[in-house]
Amino acid sequence: MTTESNLTPQDPRPTRQRRRVIPLVAAGALVAGVMLLIWNLVSGSLYFYNADEAVARRSELGAERFVLQGSPIGCSIVESALGSETVVAFSLSFGGRTVDVVHRGDPADLFQPDVPVVLDGNWVEGSPEVEGFAGMAGDGWYFASDRMRVKHDNDYRNDEDYEQRLQQSEAQAATGGCS
Amino acid sequence: MTTQVAAQDRGDGDPTRAHTGSRATRGLGLVVLAGLVALVLLAFFAAPPDDEQGDAVRLIFIHVPSAILTYVAFFTTAAGSAMWLWKRSSWWDITAHAAAEIGVMFCALTLFTGSIWGRPTWNTYWDWGDVRLVTTLILFLLMVGYLVVRSSGGDDPAVSTRAAIVGLLAAINIPIVNRSVEWWFDRTLHQKASLTDGKLEDLTLFTLVFGLVVGLLFFVWAMIHRFRVGWLEHQARAEDLDEALEARRSEAAAAGSSASGGEA
Repeated sequence: MTTESNLTPQDPRPTRQRRRVIPLVAAGALVAGVMLLIWNLVSGSLYFYNADEAVARRSELGAERFVLQGSPIGCSIVESALGSETVVAFSLSFGGRTVDVVHRGDPADLFQPDVPVVLDGNWVEGSPEVEGFAGMAGDGWYFASDRMRVKHDNDYRNDEDYEQRLQQSEAQAATGGCS
Repeated sequence: MTTQVAAQDRGDGDPTRAHTGSRATRGLGLVVLAGLVALVLLAFFAAPPDDEQGDAVRLIFIHVPSAILTYVAFFTTAAGSAMWLWKRSSWWDITAHAAAEIGVMFCALTLFTGSIWGRPTWNTYWDWGDVRLVTTLILFLLMVGYLVVRSSGGDDPAVSTRAAIVGLLAAINIPIVNRSVEWWFDRTLHQKASLTDGKLEDLTLFTLVFGLVVGLLFFVWAMIHRFRVGWLEHQARAEDLDEALEARRSEAAAAGSSASGGEA
């Protein structure tokens, strides 16, 4: 061991520098995470409008894009085409109000009657010009959608009558049996 | 606090022979392996497909147990963090760290299986508007942040304290994640809880509970091993520090005696 002291200035040790930076980065990430959480919780309450709310806020929403939720009415579903694009027209309901929908693009794999859908789009004034579709809302407006998600429920108990009910619903739709 | 670590007893002073296994953990590991094989058979062959979702529903047997074990692991981290702040106990600190690592793995698995389940059922892998999805992602990122804080220094008590604060803050999010589908029940894409709502039956319910039991056993097995690794690291650092202090004392003593010899 030497008894002489080395007084030459030394470069700061990188490990100490790293130890100061990591807590700062972690603290920044923590603050960002908490802010993101709060933002998500606040905006989460406005994620989508249910059909009754969307109808009530129609004038306020105007042509603005929003997210709509409701359950498709089985007998109203009509699949058609506009040019090369698939179009699905149907009426959906929630909270006692009905909305006519024209969705451009393929429907979701699990799209079916009475299973709620969440749609991105906007209000359009006029009647949907889809062959064979007679909207059930009849209020001179329809919702033009271009993105569809299916909001399935949490019930995983198999229903013995499921296939039968599905066939009935499809047969009703094929014959336009909404009356 | 004294803790029995298998590696201490079996190393015979040779660090290359140290390991964290014991007869009990090997037995538990075998039970977990057998359970995983049985779970795969039950989930992919025995359980019935769902009326609406078909075979996609089989992901529930991995997704739901992973989510529940994420909560268990991060609550363990929160408990360990609180105990560290209260008692300054290394045992609790190492427990919190071990649970956080395993919890991050389960949380990643939850997000991944949820995402690939979402594509055929919801028609999307991810939706930024959904509270359950985003709060789960935030929980994951917070716990990754916890691990980043921990990585900044071995046994430094200040690092343990910072990590404990992050662990406790992250735990606030756990009930929000869990209850979000109830609090925003008509505002989320994610469905409500099936297990507690009694919406499962017969072999589907059995397979899900079986998956949860296997997952819990795996969690216990992984916790024991990860804790033992952490405890060995803690002891090795303490021994290194003792040796370094002893060496400095010897050097100081030697320097002192040579100095006094020179004066004489």
